[in-house]
Amino acid sequence: MPERTARALGLAVAIVYATLIGWLYARQPQTIAQVTGGLSAAIGAYRIDEQAFADGLRFFRSDHFPEARMAFARADSAERDARTQFYIAYSYYREGWGRLYHDATLYRQGLEVLDRAVALAPGGRLVVDDDPNLKIHSADELRAELEAGIRVDVSDFNPMRLFSERK
Amino acid sequence: MTAGREAIALPIVFLTVVLLGGLRIADAAAALAPPSVFALVLGVLLVRVLVQCGALAPERLVSPSRTALANANGVVVLVTLWAAGSQAIALVIPDSGLPRIALNVFFLVLLLNTAAASPDRVRLLRSLSVTFGSAFVLKFVVLYELSTPGTSWLKRVLQTMLEGITLGTLTQEPLRPVTGYIAFATVALFLIGIFLLPHDHGAPVATSEIGPYKALLPSRPA
Repeated sequence: MPERTARALGLAVAIVYATLIGWLYARQPQTIAQVTGGLSAAIGAYRIDEQAFADGLRFFRSDHFPEARMAFARADSAERDARTQFYIAYSYYREGWGRLYHDATLYRQGLEVLDRAVALAPGGRLVVDDDPNLKIHSADELRAELEAGIRVDVSDFNPMRLFSERK
Repeated sequence: MTAGREAIALPIVFLTVVLLGGLRIADAAAALAPPSVFALVLGVLLVRVLVQCGALAPERLVSPSRTALANANGVVVLVTLWAAGSQAIALVIPDSGLPRIALNVFFLVLLLNTAAASPDRVRLLRSLSVTFGSAFVLKFVVLYELSTPGTSWLKRVLQTMLEGITLGTLTQEPLRPVTGYIAFATVALFLIGIFLLPHDHGAPVATSEIGPYKALLPSRPA
């Protein structure tokens, strides 16, 4: 190999490798699926598993939330799809919702996933408006519900909350 | 030194050290830990010592007589060497407690002492091998054994006593055994990388290097 070619190739390889390492340090992926998914998302080639997503939706609509989350996790194994992550966060909300009290642990998990979903959405704006089953269509509304559920205030002792509806 | 070694092999070796050196695999999760600021400072000291002792000849990497592309390759080698040195030091320094402080100070004093002693290249490489090897053994063998949850009641009792005596400043977050294997490979790779660096041929030659040729030297008068 001519010296000039070797030097140019080495420089290019070093820059690409260093960029990859920087990306890995910034993203901190936990699985190989997250690494490959993140890289394919970076070049716009990432696709979720549509069949697993459909399974997740079916579980979600029949209030089988842990099963729904498993299916959504399978559909978006790299955690790179904002819409799927929104559904996972929503499943935490619906599972944690109660007339007398809300499960703060599930709500916190929901907020964590929602943060991830918003980070993945273009411009941080996440709206899912093509699903009539949902009563909350945006990440902002869902965040408000989750945060209100975690917060303890006077409204928690209002007897009228017994008549409130799950969204 | 060939262009392939300078432009391809050395950057890849050092960047791999940067990548693998940060890997921490615990039971709960895996994480990539960047080197601390102090490790970055120690990395600068390490590069300085390498230059001072002739193990690295910077003028063979960056100089006005080289082309712009060759100089760019040289800069990449220098930067990745610094990053890899910092990461290798951070790798063998314990993650918390008294051992972390002690090893940080140990590395600082050792590098300053080595700079003051200014050994030749061969002695420096030996010294670095022993230093990194000792720190590796301390972290991944001694402290690992002290920090891993005991399987027998005797070990658990001894661990509890040790934690009580040292107020918990000695034991570390337990890591998976695979972390030790990866760390071993990383330290070895870093030392190989240092060995492959373009060195100063005019640097003082170690006695061991001239040993076989000693007979050719004129004998000193008694």
